[in-house]
Amino acid sequence: MTERGGIGTGIGAGFWGMILLIMAGLGLWQITSGKSPIDGDVLSLIGMEQSGDGGQKSDIETVRDLLAQDANQAIVMLSHDQQDMLETMTRQLASDIANIPGTKSVSLPGYDTGNLARFSDFYLPHAQSLLSDRDRALLRDGNGEPVFQNAVKTLYAPAALISAKSLRADPFSLLPGFLSDLGRKFGHTGIIQSAASDAFHTPIIITLSPDLRHTGKDSAWVDAINAAIANAQSNPANQSDGFGIAKTGQIFFAVAEATAAKSDVQRIAIIATLGVFVMVLSVFFSPLPLIGALMTVGSGLIVGIAAVTLIFDSIHAIALVFGASLIGISVDYALHYLVLPADGSSPKSRIKTIRAGLSLGLLTSVLGFSVLAVSPTILLAQIAVYSIAGLIAAYLTVLFLLPLLPARAVQRRSFIPWIYQHLDGVLRHVQLPQMVRVICAACILIGFGLCMAFIPTDDDIRHLGRGNDTLTQQARLIGETMGMGGNPIFIRIDAPDNEARLQTGEAVQDALAPLIETGIVGSAFGLSDMIPSIKRQDENRALIRDQLYAPYAEKLRALLPVPFDAPDPKAPYVLADANAFDHLPELANLHDGTTDIIRLTAVTDADAVARAIAPINTARLVNPRATITAQFADYRGWAMAGLAIALLFAGVLAIVRYGVVAGICVLGTPAGAMLMALFGAAVMGVTINFFTIMALFLVFAIGADYVIFFSESQKHGQQDETRLAVFLSLISSILAFGLLASSSVPVVSAIGTVMAIGLLSAWVLSYVMCPSSSNADTIVDAHAP
Amino acid sequence: MTHRWPKTLAIIAFLGTAILPNVSGIARAQSTRPTAIQMPTAISDQQYLTGSFALDRHLAGFEMPLASRGEFILSPSKGLVWQNLEPFPDTTIMTDQGIARKRDDGTYETIASGAQFHQFIALISAVLAGNWEPLSNQFTVTDKQTASDQTGADANSPDWQITLKPKNTNGLSEQISQITVMGAKFVTHVTLHKPSGDRDEITLTDQERHDLPMPDDLAKRFSGPHP
Repeated sequence: MTERGGIGTGIGAGFWGMILLIMAGLGLWQITSGKSPIDGDVLSLIGMEQSGDGGQKSDIETVRDLLAQDANQAIVMLSHDQQDMLETMTRQLASDIANIPGTKSVSLPGYDTGNLARFSDFYLPHAQSLLSDRDRALLRDGNGEPVFQNAVKTLYAPAALISAKSLRADPFSLLPGFLSDLGRKFGHTGIIQSAASDAFHTPIIITLSPDLRHTGKDSAWVDAINAAIANAQSNPANQSDGFGIAKTGQIFFAVAEATAAKSDVQRIAIIATLGVFVMVLSVFFSPLPLIGALMTVGSGLIVGIAAVTLIFDSIHAIALVFGASLIGISVDYALHYLVLPADGSSPKSRIKTIRAGLSLGLLTSVLGFSVLAVSPTILLAQIAVYSIAGLIAAYLTVLFLLPLLPARAVQRRSFIPWIYQHLDGVLRHVQLPQMVRVICAACILIGFGLCMAFIPTDDDIRHLGRGNDTLTQQARLIGETMGMGGNPIFIRIDAPDNEARLQTGEAVQDALAPLIETGIVGSAFGLSDMIPSIKRQDENRALIRDQLYAPYAEKLRALLPVPFDAPDPKAPYVLADANAFDHLPELANLHDGTTDIIRLTAVTDADAVARAIAPINTARLVNPRATITAQFADYRGWAMAGLAIALLFAGVLAIVRYGVVAGICVLGTPAGAMLMALFGAAVMGVTINFFTIMALFLVFAIGADYVIFFSESQKHGQQDETRLAVFLSLISSILAFGLLASSSVPVVSAIGTVMAIGLLSAWVLSYVMCPSSSNADTIVDAHAP
Repeated sequence: MTHRWPKTLAIIAFLGTAILPNVSGIARAQSTRPTAIQMPTAISDQQYLTGSFALDRHLAGFEMPLASRGEFILSPSKGLVWQNLEPFPDTTIMTDQGIARKRDDGTYETIASGAQFHQFIALISAVLAGNWEPLSNQFTVTDKQTASDQTGADANSPDWQITLKPKNTNGLSEQISQITVMGAKFVTHVTLHKPSGDRDEITLTDQERHDLPMPDDLAKRFSGPHP
């Protein structure tokens, strides 16, 4: 029998249906057009909310910016035991990569001739202010003879970069040494011969188009790179014992994580949806309730995604995974309505029966997620927006669309209701006195507070992602072989004065020199390497004047056909000014406002670096991994505070609705569920971090729904139907979240584990904290077949 | 962006001259020329070349060049030894492991190191083997027959002349504008023109081809700081 809820309901349903269609189209367009691509990089959404004091960037901002710069670079390392073959296959692969859409440029440090002319032109006018480390050390020791001898021999050397112009400005040929140092410090190695295997290795440095990631084409680019590498690997001409290709770069890791997450989402969503299909069909023996459940779940997902795409530039994969779990919440609302017996009542009256419970459940969840929406992290905000929009949509679908469907009665003799009746019968025997329940609830709340305060946590970001052993091994190989790639570590120098920062940079380089010599640091490169401080330039000038010109100028003049003058003490210094930044765009990556950056590569002992620079007050080591881990620890703290606030809101609502005693008992249910989830997680070895705390938010929202539905059922009298609806909801949620626990992404698996334990606990606690009224059940039982 | 040892480019430029005995092979492959012209035969991996050189380095705006004299040894499999005798004794060793200078006390100073230097030595070897492809990748090669061929003049006059212009696609053009090579049986004269207006004039004499192994005294000259 088709029932109608009246003209008002029809208008509302039509209006809501149109909105859903628009939202579906919008969300689809945003994602498929690349306007809101799916982002799998954990780092991409953090730190954007922070800004330092006085225009100085915070560590996390600087880390994010530097990682963003690094994200535009990828490295492919080729290895071969024959140099000729290495060059041939390197050039071929570089050509293939250059032709891939999304590749901005490709350079071959082993074969390119570099930017020497550009650097020489810039530095030549300042040659008498610049010295290599070796020449400076010699002159400082008063040993100018080797420097002079080198200058003389350079005049006749076969491979000398001298000209009349260069000799006028740099008669002692000091600049080539300075430029050599610069190249060494920069750390882009050309060709390396492995001492262990005798194989030769050379890198291809790939610069990606800046828009590659934002347009969502990064996955296609990685596929194309992999195809090019596979093609090179399959070429019989390249085969040899020493042949190999390795790659590294943020883009490879990000795409691998996103691919795994997307695959998990698809699998979880499909199986969870199928599970709900089977469950609903087996309970109602009709597809109509199934359609109702699908409409509710679907509307929640559609509106959730559309809301996120409208507000944010991209959807983070973690938010997507979390959003998919909304299936477990939104199906609660649908089932709560669908299990109500038709028995001649109109859809409107049935809705009225559950509206208060639904509204209170929604309000509790929305309040909880609203705390997240105003949180400082975009990832949290995405999850909050997704959840709030999705749950409101599911709620509205239940109110407006489900009443359009003909009602179908629960088949009490089918398997799932049979299971329910047995479990329900057992749990309903748990009847605790009210005082005991209040004491239990109070103990739970206190226990939960203590647990949140003292539970061991682990926010290390290395434990969040699934990781990719192959990529990790290749990154390690490239780092160990070429001193490139790997975990970036840098030193930041903060000072309002340019000169002070440059002097500090030089002091840092001096402090790091022993570590570079012993291999603890591969290379260190900062602004002061390219632009020495004025103090250093003055020192150099004095050394050149006193240790070279004074004793050797006349000797050199006798040999050199080019006239040259004594160093001009008033000659302009090389400065980190606009001219320098124009000529040397590389400087931009080493300087930002009042902060200079020294980039370190292939660091094997970060603690040793920290110790070495400890005496230098304005310099400090920044390890992006540690910084981001600390950031996630902050987020976790914020989420825990948010959870406490949400619990407080829920407590106020519950007390207002049910009174102090019952309200505390109601509150004890989600709090107890979260406590059990934390305990279970600890027992199962699940790491407690920001994301598991976020999972507790879901436990809180669903647990609150359960107990609110239980409590409200005592008012409207449909207790048995409500308990059945909660049981069915539990099954669907366990299906979805149990599957999350099977995810290959550790953080997703942890969320699933916490959810599964928490929801099961919430269901049991709902019985304990909100015992059924036997009278009402008697009435309902009378309708049972 | 790549930053490299500045010597690298200089070596490219210099070896652009060192490989010139083989450049004639390129010219031969690229053009048709009278069969009467005597062309150098490529040096195999089992051979080496010895000779003397005179390098006059002309700096723009100055009449007197920086003149040096000495000897050289070129081995496709080992590298190049450039031994200045005048005005100062100074030995430069270039191998596929880098470039080093021998000090007066017999020790070596590494001026530049890295396996990438192999490509320059490989360039020589490749051309000696008749594989001129590596050179043509970096230079535009043109050749012409000199007047002496037509007139049958002095036997020491060059039979051929080759001009190499770096392609714009590499950094060589920033250091070298043109290389002119002349020779008969061997390369006899090389002019290295630089964009600054400077030029190096290299005259090669007394060249002899030998089969490996080298005598110990010559082989020792290739020993340096690199294994």
